Amino acid sequence: MEAMAVESKKLYNPLMSKILKVDILTETEKRFEIILPEDQILGHKPGQFVEVSIFGYGEAPISICSSPTKTPGFELTVRKTGRLTDKMHLLEKGGQLGIRGPFGNGFDVEPFQKKDMLFVCGGIGLAPLKSLIDYTIAKRDDFGRLMILYGTKNPSEILFKEDIEVWQNQDDIEFHMTVDRSDEDWKGNVGVITTLIPPLKLDTSNTIATVVGPPIMYKFVMLALKSKRIPDENIYLSLERRMKCGVGKCGHCQINNSYVCQEGPVYPYPRIKQLEEAI
Amino acid sequence: MYSENIIKFDQMKRYFFDQDTSIKFLEYLIGKGTVIAPHKKGETSYSFKKVDDVNEVVFDYSRTIQPLKKFFLPPQETLLNFNLTDNSFSEPEVVEEKKIFFAIHSYEMQSIRRLDYSFTKGNPESNYLSKRENSCFIGISFEPDEWHFSKSVGIEIEKLEGFCLFFEPVENGHLVFEVNETGREMLSEFGAGVLVDTPLDFEITDKHFKAKIKYHYNRLPQVFEHVYHSKVWDKVAEKCVGCGTCNLLCATCYCFDVRDEVDLNMINGKRERFWDSCMLNSFAEVAGGDDFRDKLSFRTRHRLFRKFKYITEESGELQCVGCGRCSRFCPAQINIVDIINDLIVDYTEQQEKQVI
Repeated sequence: MEAMAVESKKLYNPLMSKILKVDILTETEKRFEIILPEDQILGHKPGQFVEVSIFGYGEAPISICSSPTKTPGFELTVRKTGRLTDKMHLLEKGGQLGIRGPFGNGFDVEPFQKKDMLFVCGGIGLAPLKSLIDYTIAKRDDFGRLMILYGTKNPSEILFKEDIEVWQNQDDIEFHMTVDRSDEDWKGNVGVITTLIPPLKLDTSNTIATVVGPPIMYKFVMLALKSKRIPDENIYLSLERRMKCGVGKCGHCQINNSYVCQEGPVYPYPRIKQLEEAI
Repeated sequence: MYSENIIKFDQMKRYFFDQDTSIKFLEYLIGKGTVIAPHKKGETSYSFKKVDDVNEVVFDYSRTIQPLKKFFLPPQETLLNFNLTDNSFSEPEVVEEKKIFFAIHSYEMQSIRRLDYSFTKGNPESNYLSKRENSCFIGISFEPDEWHFSKSVGIEIEKLEGFCLFFEPVENGHLVFEVNETGREMLSEFGAGVLVDTPLDFEITDKHFKAKIKYHYNRLPQVFEHVYHSKVWDKVAEKCVGCGTCNLLCATCYCFDVRDEVDLNMINGKRERFWDSCMLNSFAEVAGGDDFRDKLSFRTRHRLFRKFKYITEESGELQCVGCGRCSRFCPAQINIVDIINDLIVDYTEQQEKQVI
């Protein structure tokens, strides 16, 4: 190995971290506030993810839902969907989780300065976008309008209700939400998230749209944004894949020539258009 | 091209080893470290394994079933040992030993160079690189069978890069070429006062590949730029059974799965990685069940694009090394050379249409 004087790294060792707080958000989602050993700061960018593990139950990629401005801990919103996340939901304050990361490319906020920000969040897609929403609120003066569109299947799936109440009552945030199917108590909009886009009055060339949601949502939201004439290069999407290793090796998250854990999960829309397997 | 190698060989010191000397040399190597070499496995198959009996080493073989990658990226490898009672963990101990790989074909050597690239770029990985340290490779020439096509991907039988010594069969023995300093030191220690430099008056037989890709290897990434929507992928998918053998036996495939295994005592366990296969239907599935490569034709395309385009765009080298394992061991008799030649036909037709 003469020609390979490279410093190799221990890529798969987690930092055993402590759960500071657990909030029940819905029947299937909980929010965990976590702190790394010795109060180390995670140092993430909005939109990045960490690999979370519990020994014996495996590891999974989970988006960070808190703003980097909120320290020393960070937050993850986790839906119960399998062995690892079921086990996570049984953990309480003081419990331990293995953390690796942060990984991937998050939102680069530098080009967003002074722009109007449009957040389009479908279902649990609000969680990764919340790291950016909270960041823009914390640095409110650096941005133009903040517009949050949020859609869920039904009212019982609404996340971050306390935050939403604040957003709804704040003059410098425009918040609109809808549910696909209402229930008896629901008094708001009913319909898919794309119905929230046409009524918006936008300064299109000065608007940055960030979109996170289930795969099915992207195609329809892209059409709606296109009819609003938002330039492709002002649109950012975050993609969900099974990033098993987080370090660009295992291959599970690969979309054409892009490893989502390295180049993504946040992509500018023109790049997505080059990746046929993306959405 | 063959004559070029003769010139290259001509500038190198070389020694004649009869069978007896080669056996003695293997015995010498065993004294220097762990020696890994091809062995017979059954009547017609071969396998790389640690040499215990030098007489069992096979010099003349077509290809082993499993590629050499298994020594650097084992089929099953422990990443961490953990304890469930206190959530502590440790890394498995790395055994530091000198490993000498003997009688290695050039495509196999080149596959290791490809893996070196993948495990070094971006995030250099200690698991791979620590196994890769302290290893040296002794090459050997081979007679291509109907599945070898390494020359078509730019790897000559006598491509010496990565080797310290190279064995070329001649009548009644081998010519042993001193490729680099490590090889020179080995030979001078082994044969001090015994070995004499041999003039090159031996006849080295010309070797021919039966399987060939129609276009020059440097043109293949360009071909792949135009065949993403080719009907060839559907044609292959009609035959493919999606077993993933092609990935597992590929000399340069390195994708893996990670799983936790808990011991029966429910106290200790291991986080392990296993070879995985992008041809399997669950490989690209995401949480919630969506699968962005849910057809065999998509997965075949992905496998081939990784060999001829995606990684090549960055590394400048084709990932396929032409060992022929994916074709030789495919239960559906799918042949990678046929796929590429079909794609070339498709590409050529497209180009002609554009001219008209």
